[in-house]
Amino acid sequence: MSSKHTSVLVVGGGMAGVTAAIETAELGREVFLVEKTPSLGGRVAGMKQYFPKLCPPYCGLEINYRRIKENPRISVLTSATVEKIEGKSGDFSVTVSVKPRYIQAGLCDPKKPFEGLEATVESEFDYGLGKRRVVGIPHEQAYPYLPVVSESALGNPEIRKQLENTAGVDLHQEPKTMVLKVGSIIWSTGWVPYDASRIGYLGYSRYADVVTNVEFERLAAVNGPTGGKLVRPSDDRAVKRLAFIQCAGSRDENHLAYCSSVCCMASLKQTTYIRNAVEDSEVYVFYIDIRANKYESFYRTIQEDKKVHFIKGKPGLVELDPASSDLVVVSEDMESEKTVRVPVDLVVLATGMVPATREQKVPYDGVSYDEFGFLVSDPFTAAIIPAGCVKRPVDVAASVQDATGASIKAVRNG
Amino acid sequence: MAEKIGCFVCSGCGIADAVDVDTLVAIAQGEKKAATAMCHEALCQKEGLELMRKEIESHGLDGVVVAACSGRDKSNEFDFENVYVDRANLREGVAWTHEPGHEDTQMLAEDLVRMAMGRSKFASRPKGEPVQPNNRVLVIGGGMAGLSAALYASGFDREVVLVEKEDVLGGFANHLHKIYPKDMDLRAYAETDLDGLISRVAGEKKITVYTGAEVGRISGAPADFDVTINQGSDKINLKVDTVVVAAGWKPYDAAKLGHLGYGTTPDVVTNVEFERMAKEGKLQRPSDGKALESVLFVQCAGSRDDNHLPYCSNVCCGASLKQITYLKEANPQTACYVIYKDIRTPGHYEEVYKKVQKTGALFIKGEVESVQKGAEGGMAVQATDVLLGEPVAVEVDLVVLATGMVPTTLDTDVLNLTYRQGPELPEREYGFPNSHFICFPYETQRTGIYAAGAVRMPMDLASGMDDGAGAALKAVQSIELISQGKATHPRVGDLSFPNFALQRCTQCKRCTEECPFGALDEDIKGTPKPNPTRCRRCGVCMGACPERIVSFDNYSINSISEAIKSIFVPDEFEEKPRVIALACENDAIAAIDMAAHNSLRINPFVRVIPVRCLGSFNIIWVADALSRGVDGIMLMGCKYGDDYQCHFIKGSELANTRMSNVQDTLDRLMLESERLRQVEVAITDYDKIPQIFDDFLEKLEELGPNPYKD
Amino acid sequence: MSEPKTPIPELGDAVVQTGGDTLYQCMQCGLCVSSCPWRQVDGDISRDFNTRKVQHMAQLGVEGYETEEVLFACSTCGVCVNRCPRDVNAIDNMRVLRAMIAESGSIPQAYRPVIGSLKSQGNPWQGERSERLDWAEDLQVPKFGEGTQYLLFVCCTSCYDARSKKIAKAIVSVLKKAGVSFGIIGQEESCCGESVRKIGSEDTFASLAESNIKLFTQNGVKKIITTSPHCLFTFRKEYPELGGRFEVWHYTELLKQLIAEKKIEPKHALGKKVIFHDPCYLGRHNEVYDAPRDVIDALGSTRIEMDRAGTESICCGGGGGRIWMETPPGARFGDLRINDALAKQAEVLATACPYCTIMLDASNMAMGKEELQILDVAELLDQVT
Repeated sequence: MSSKHTSVLVVGGGMAGVTAAIETAELGREVFLVEKTPSLGGRVAGMKQYFPKLCPPYCGLEINYRRIKENPRISVLTSATVEKIEGKSGDFSVTVSVKPRYIQAGLCDPKKPFEGLEATVESEFDYGLGKRRVVGIPHEQAYPYLPVVSESALGNPEIRKQLENTAGVDLHQEPKTMVLKVGSIIWSTGWVPYDASRIGYLGYSRYADVVTNVEFERLAAVNGPTGGKLVRPSDDRAVKRLAFIQCAGSRDENHLAYCSSVCCMASLKQTTYIRNAVEDSEVYVFYIDIRANKYESFYRTIQEDKKVHFIKGKPGLVELDPASSDLVVVSEDMESEKTVRVPVDLVVLATGMVPATREQKVPYDGVSYDEFGFLVSDPFTAAIIPAGCVKRPVDVAASVQDATGASIKAVRNG
Repeated sequence: MAEKIGCFVCSGCGIADAVDVDTLVAIAQGEKKAATAMCHEALCQKEGLELMRKEIESHGLDGVVVAACSGRDKSNEFDFENVYVDRANLREGVAWTHEPGHEDTQMLAEDLVRMAMGRSKFASRPKGEPVQPNNRVLVIGGGMAGLSAALYASGFDREVVLVEKEDVLGGFANHLHKIYPKDMDLRAYAETDLDGLISRVAGEKKITVYTGAEVGRISGAPADFDVTINQGSDKINLKVDTVVVAAGWKPYDAAKLGHLGYGTTPDVVTNVEFERMAKEGKLQRPSDGKALESVLFVQCAGSRDDNHLPYCSNVCCGASLKQITYLKEANPQTACYVIYKDIRTPGHYEEVYKKVQKTGALFIKGEVESVQKGAEGGMAVQATDVLLGEPVAVEVDLVVLATGMVPTTLDTDVLNLTYRQGPELPEREYGFPNSHFICFPYETQRTGIYAAGAVRMPMDLASGMDDGAGAALKAVQSIELISQGKATHPRVGDLSFPNFALQRCTQCKRCTEECPFGALDEDIKGTPKPNPTRCRRCGVCMGACPERIVSFDNYSINSISEAIKSIFVPDEFEEKPRVIALACENDAIAAIDMAAHNSLRINPFVRVIPVRCLGSFNIIWVADALSRGVDGIMLMGCKYGDDYQCHFIKGSELANTRMSNVQDTLDRLMLESERLRQVEVAITDYDKIPQIFDDFLEKLEELGPNPYKD
Repeated sequence: MSEPKTPIPELGDAVVQTGGDTLYQCMQCGLCVSSCPWRQVDGDISRDFNTRKVQHMAQLGVEGYETEEVLFACSTCGVCVNRCPRDVNAIDNMRVLRAMIAESGSIPQAYRPVIGSLKSQGNPWQGERSERLDWAEDLQVPKFGEGTQYLLFVCCTSCYDARSKKIAKAIVSVLKKAGVSFGIIGQEESCCGESVRKIGSEDTFASLAESNIKLFTQNGVKKIITTSPHCLFTFRKEYPELGGRFEVWHYTELLKQLIAEKKIEPKHALGKKVIFHDPCYLGRHNEVYDAPRDVIDALGSTRIEMDRAGTESICCGGGGGRIWMETPPGARFGDLRINDALAKQAEVLATACPYCTIMLDASNMAMGKEELQILDVAELLDQVT
């Protein structure tokens, strides 16, 4: 290899990007890890547990963060985005713009200076289901563990005024631009949940108690908007009966033609959230095919639970019963050929994964995508190496696996 | 042993508001004999760090106690060359979780400083022992996963030795008529090109291929494995550093599927046999050579079935879809039926499902009830059809059983390690190796040995190739780490390793049995033979040893004992009980910090001591604590059992066993065994932390003070 | 368990070859069933009619779906087609299956006079061909001739049904007020054939279409205004394959344009709460959602929306030949729409399809909700101009 530069740029600081960065650095390469939000962790940081072990994602992040801290070869850039990529494998020039945190330089106390500032904004981390303070550490497992001024707060003149009067906040900070010279690039910007409001008949836009699976993770998480209590967003009523609607947008020519591959397991996992927390809770899973490919035994365990009802059928209607304020899910139950109308407290739509690259393309010529926006590349020659869900819709384990492989591709191709 | 220890107390982040920092400095300097001690308002900032560096230099410090934030934060800032650094957690552990200015809060802070000073006295910065690697990776299996692993692991100055038991490379893909998914026109999977892969491997000078060969024996340890390869009657001996196991899979034994008609007639075949028929261009009825006009595929033939393979083999749906295209391409009129439980075509494979549906293949969700010789010379199949609500019966020319994948390693030894704990990778279930398959999918229980492809879990060829690349990275990376004397996952970079004071060993074999990673072999008498490059530095051996002969430079029985002994225990009349919490540093410690992040109030009588893994818990610490008048000891570790969450596999489980043994002893000594309690704490259980402590203190109050109190 | 059924793949293939070409794409998700308006009502058909299962039976080529309550239940509203995750056109498939039954001679009793009338008189309503233009008496409707811009094609329903005739008159009135160049050809016009094709009588459809195409072509027709979205559908989507290529407008599309061009302007405000029911064939089948609403917005009225509107609109129950079938009380989709309108306190339930008007009127009367007026958009515009 006659590379001019041997360092590696990893774009996207979710589980795939964090893995790729660490694995590459532990191989001895210099790595830049660029993440657009103020903290690493990506989607997994918002999840309560992983399937099938029901272990918290923070645990793996803890190990990975320690690896990052102890490895001087990794430079982490948060609130940063890649603007431009020029050059070729072995000799890339990458323009990165970094937004300020608006926190005074040299301030080490991340809590006390901001305690008096009580203004809140909608929490993006909670998918808008809750509020967060305008200044603070993004969450318990944020990396870096530093406060940041919420961007959405800056547009509010009243809050801005309060911020200006808060010691420790520095609103005069400006975004910075830097140019990184790297030999190879791993693209791991992940995925976004499919926009459930586009599936009109499932009532997501109409009813607050129809939520997506990523939102449900936040409702169940101890650091979520309800402190982990399973209550309805509309009226705080305790959730006792829960319906999961599978393939909400996936396997659907009108939405996402592919199977998002994780939603079945995600719903089975989420079934345990309520079954383990609420005695006598009832769960209804409306499905086309249960795709528990890698974790059949997990599916089997859930199937044995008499309070979990699997109904083969795709619901065509979710409506409100005004008398009880229940949501009623209307579906065929194919095994009986009857139409069932199931009253529940909360409906969870198992919405699928859209590759982030469908909207946010790689700013580099010659990168190709398939019709869904996934990156398509030759593993032996690609200039931009995809890792994780920008390549295929996969679960965390497969994403980590892929990111690990991407690291060696980056080292070889670069 | 750190001889000259400095103590630096930070007054920032609210610490000075909560406690009297000057007293802490005085305790360090006076009682704990620090070479130097001082306070600063922001140790982590430039000025503070410079101050510390200056002090280290001027006093020649080899140990430093940073009494500031949690050890989880700013570990890279508080890192000084050749200096052992210990941390007293005054921010999360005191200022953010306790009542400011209270007497109990002050006592807690003082104890934390004492404990860190005490620990430091018995600790030194580990240096590590670099080893000279061979720069050679052994790849077992020349299928697509193995080829991919070989290709990626080679290059630069690294060699790869690829061992394939067949006479040609390619593995199972050689037996395929068409490669799924490459040949299914999915752009996302174009890379699964077998011929291209083989020629790349052939063109790579750094790869040596042994076909028709098997690994006879592997002895030694990472960076120094002695491998014997048997090729026919030849024996090749060579040294390698690390190993990728990509030994692949074999089809489930269809002879066990008599209920589906297999074995009674040639017209019931497996998907593997059908693949060969297609490859040979013989899409004919085996019994009489009639051209195939109708074929029925039975999905999950022996998969998802408690009597056979309880798991899903992941690829059989895709394989049947591919095989239908063979039939439809040869003759679009061929009637194809698929009896299925669920069609499982994740990701882009859904496109294949749709494409095959359009060819007119008929999908029937149900179960096969009978397969018999039909009236017209074919096979008569009767099945339920859930979607019709009635059974269906059809006579077809051929029945294809979509049989699943069994890892080669289920009943065949491929590594033949000379390890005390056995020749192969420990298994999770069904012959697949154990690993932390979610966050750290490659971490097997044998350091430097990584599984890839269908031997790791059932997977398609595209995933197998990716998996080979991932395993290659780990194989190469571990050479890098091990050669520098560093640990691999999860304590990556740790330069410490266990020292065994073997002269005191009683050959009880607990350490060699309990090591989760098979790092220790034994001599004939049962004396452990450490293999430092196999070690993951969890300290399970240290916890196991009744003679307490195992220690790390920076973590030992003595260092923790000293921390315990450093705690000031008030007499019983003060009514200030004391509890020691030994907490897993990855999860429980983080959970306690997260409680602090959320400003939860924590009981001030608890003294938390981080441990590498609960598996390093040695029962002597119980004696140390109880004899000093400590009222209770709590072990805080990960969930154990089938869905264990311990990153050292069974640390918390072993701790539990040891604790039960101690409890028996306590009962005999008329000391309440309830003074010892283990709790499972996940990292996100931070909200439960206050209650966990309060409950224990309540129990201890019931029991009354420890009678051994002064 | 019953005697097993034996699949006959040739039957499925035959469906595919004769127009049901998406049949095999069905993956049996059941969204068609749960989306079907029959799920919103009670009764035997609601219980027995299962689109998903009909597709599966057709795929396998097994029998059991041929009854009137199953095969002829579909009102072809298109909700299932619109939503189908696999792009299965269940309407096409159902139409082909009905045609297969029709070929074997076992067509439902109710359709025999309809088909007879279409064959002999060119309309499904058993009206004399000679009376086709009776609605236009005293109206001086221009005759289509050289120089006429648009052919106004009046739906058979509005030619023969007493209530529906008023819609035709209103459309003529507003077109005149707007100074549009339009005309009608006359008694030689025949039914567009849309609904008869849906009930499976392919040959009847073919001869009607052939006759219309010939007639239009001979008269030099280039542009057509239809009064029914059903005619709109068949002229736009089915005639071109048979050689009939015209620029086809639904009158609401034209009215929208005329209003925008200020060729027709309301003289006073309607001053009522108007709610619009999207006809399936105007909305889902032709994707015309805004035009009728724009017309209503120009009336000086308050336009309100039902919960189920636009693509989610519920069928009136009159499509797919259902208009000629007896649907028992309690199972009529029209009732749902009356309730939907009343739930929003509407005073006028407006629509833009002759079938919808008939079905909604029938429900309204049966329910005794005369306070709600059922009117066509053209009638409303005519009132204020």
